[in-house]
Amino acid sequence: MRRMNRRLQKWTANLLELPQDVVYDLPRVTMIGDRQLYIENHRGVLHFSSDRLRLALSKGELEVTGEDLVIRTIWTEEVFIEGVIKHIEVR
Amino acid sequence: MKGTWLHWVKGIVTVRARGGELESFVNLALQGGLTLWSIRRTSEGQLEFETTVGHFFRLRPYLKRTSCRVHVIGRNGMPFWLLKVRRRVFFGVGLVLFFVGLYLLSSLVWNVQVSGNIRISDEQILKAAKAEGIHQLQWSFKLQDPAVLSKKIAARLPDASWVGVEKKGTSIVINIVESTKPNEGPLLSPRHLIATDDAVITDIQADTGRPVVKRNMRVKKGDILISGSLGDEANIQTVIAKGKVRGIVWHEYNVVSPLIEKVKVYTGLSTTRWHAVAGGRALQVSGFGKAPYTQYEVVQREEQLSWHGLKLPFGRMKETVLEVRVDERKLTEEEAVTKGIQQAKADLMTKAGADAVIVAEKLLHEKTDNGKVYLKVLLEVEQSIVTEMPIVSTQGE
Repeated sequence: MRRMNRRLQKWTANLLELPQDVVYDLPRVTMIGDRQLYIENHRGVLHFSSDRLRLALSKGELEVTGEDLVIRTIWTEEVFIEGVIKHIEVR
Repeated sequence: MKGTWLHWVKGIVTVRARGGELESFVNLALQGGLTLWSIRRTSEGQLEFETTVGHFFRLRPYLKRTSCRVHVIGRNGMPFWLLKVRRRVFFGVGLVLFFVGLYLLSSLVWNVQVSGNIRISDEQILKAAKAEGIHQLQWSFKLQDPAVLSKKIAARLPDASWVGVEKKGTSIVINIVESTKPNEGPLLSPRHLIATDDAVITDIQADTGRPVVKRNMRVKKGDILISGSLGDEANIQTVIAKGKVRGIVWHEYNVVSPLIEKVKVYTGLSTTRWHAVAGGRALQVSGFGKAPYTQYEVVQREEQLSWHGLKLPFGRMKETVLEVRVDERKLTEEEAVTKGIQQAKADLMTKAGADAVIVAEKLLHEKTDNGKVYLKVLLEVEQSIVTEMPIVSTQGE
């Protein structure tokens, strides 16, 4: 039943050409050069230091490494990071 | 978001947090609906962030749960600024008083200007404006709407056809458009209209005054035609009598008409003299010498130079000298009579005015003597017969 549900969901998403992040609750990452990073749909901060930021996702986690990282603004589902960003990894 | 103006109004606190689980503290605080921004690691186990004053006091439960410690390292925004101001009360009062004074002084009327008036004096207009509350050092919020004011001022100035009131900052401009008035006629004193001659009235039209005579009435010279005094003996009013009265008047003429008529004739001979003219002075150029004729006439014609419609003070003058001969022509008696009557009529028309009409003419007597015809003519003329007579007040001064 649950599998059926998911398939139906996938089928409608394809049909209506909905963006994947809306359908599957995935993070949307917007990056401006190497200085600003905007992440939507996170599930909280796991670790934060000036060279490493780990965010929880609905499935897995996202790790950002860089220098002088600052959380400019943070809400429950969005985070806006500034600093020198060197590496982004999704696990 | 570096703290918007709304955050500034609420008051921004920069907080340093130490120890415990800092990440989960941030997560919990966010879930609890707190607003944190500019979160940065300063060193291992130490975090700095900014939040509003209200939210700072709500941090406590999350701190306890994650065993973190905080202390404030910076205060910013209006609540703190106000605290600072409270220490300098007089400065603050002065600041407020300055703005209040500025507002009050700028809401006074400092200047009232009047423009567009020629016949109505400024004082008259300013007086009317003052009656409606427009004067110097008046509060501008006490004044009514400019449209209402202009109507009311216009009602106070009967000679103005339009009044506009305009507020320009602290000055008020009153624009006036004056009504154009017809020219007043010359001043006349009260008068009667009386007859110039003995006549029979043919037409009477009184514009002002009381007509005394009627059509077909006989009047004598000096009779009142239109009276300037109205009312009965007890209540009398004198006016300027105006009107038209026409009547038939008889004129008797004694005319002498000669039987020989002298006629001037050009013989056709002429000479020409040329003059050069400069600035109103003429210098003869040709045709010198005395005119070779016993009787002659001179005809002058002047021509002035002009350039682009501009008259120059130079020109020339042509003088033509024409020889004249006087012929004598004998008239018959009949011709002499008609000529005499014509002469009489022409003389009459100049006396009686252009609107006079000759109704009838009669030859009373005719005598030929010494080459002349003596005539006596009676002309019946319909003409205006009014003249003015001022009314002298008989009542005591």
